[in-house]
Amino acid sequence: MNFGIAILYGLLAILALVALSRADGTFQHGLRRAVEQLAVLAPRMVCALTAAGFIARLIPSELIGQYLGGEAGLKAIFLATAVGLIIPAGPVIAFAIAAIFARSGASTAALIAFITSWSLFAAHRIFIYEIPLLGPSFLRLRLVSVAVTPVLAGLMALAWAGLAGAK
Amino acid sequence: MADRAPEGEAWPALLFRLGFGRSFWGFAALAVVSGFVCFIVAGAEAFAEVVADDLHMLANTVPRIIAAMGVAGFIWVMMPRDKLTRLVGQESGWRGLVIATGAGIVTPGGPAAAFSLLAVLGGAGADRGALIAYVTSWAMLGLQRVLVWDVPFMGAEFSLTRLLICLPLPIIAGLIARSLPLTLQLADEDELQKRPS
Repeated sequence: MNFGIAILYGLLAILALVALSRADGTFQHGLRRAVEQLAVLAPRMVCALTAAGFIARLIPSELIGQYLGGEAGLKAIFLATAVGLIIPAGPVIAFAIAAIFARSGASTAALIAFITSWSLFAAHRIFIYEIPLLGPSFLRLRLVSVAVTPVLAGLMALAWAGLAGAK
Repeated sequence: MADRAPEGEAWPALLFRLGFGRSFWGFAALAVVSGFVCFIVAGAEAFAEVVADDLHMLANTVPRIIAAMGVAGFIWVMMPRDKLTRLVGQESGWRGLVIATGAGIVTPGGPAAAFSLLAVLGGAGADRGALIAYVTSWAMLGLQRVLVWDVPFMGAEFSLTRLLICLPLPIIAGLIARSLPLTLQLADEDELQKRPS
């Protein structure tokens, strides 16, 4: 995980240097925009992360994981998609839950459906960014366009597993 | 971008207004209610555990967010918008969808960066299929998230399987978006500054 942070800060340093080297106010504009976005995000993020922690605790992850096993097949894919829909939190919580599912015996196809569903429909992202920045008509277009995607991902994973002869 | 600030408003006041707008209170209420329910349902001990985990997670996330916002800010001001729009414009066809999917994979940073870029592209006239392919690809396949979260939690083999299986899906989503008879009215990009109202 520290690897990811190192990449981010390395990228930040390079971009800042490039902006500075232009010497035309680009650096100041970029910095100003960064601080403004941080002001929008930080207070909401503190609350959202706290709430996400409580919600994750209330979701019976191990119990759900037992219903996502390989023998459940299609049903597991639909259940995993539905659970992914209701996780209103960032990657920390979502992947922690996915790891619990995996330990409780969830199949690869179900896990892929879960992660895909969460990544496309995570509610906090829709409310914090998508509606304010792009508007409700974009949200509608996107939701309809990707409505079948998690199930499709799960089915392809199932087919993949069938071909590989595993699970 | 100083010109987008409302006239006469001091920058600290603007920052405060951005930080504590209406949706902030929605999140605050959600935190309080979920904490209360957790305390009642799971007990005081579990509550304390979650609070400790949350603090730990915040300490981990804050440096990440600061760097991500910095990267997003600089990319936003330096991005060659004309060129990008030509690549993924109305006439870009299949190529536009593939480029958008690739761009989504390599866009660094969290949703703040990705959705800002999306708004800029949309405002500059990018094709709707490309917009959908881009954000779908970023959400499902974004390399930064895969490296930072997916691989450590789920293992490299699972992550690779997931990436390969999901690779064509953003393009399919973009094709679906192009064929849908829905009107698309993007929020004005200049509205960005007023957004927490």
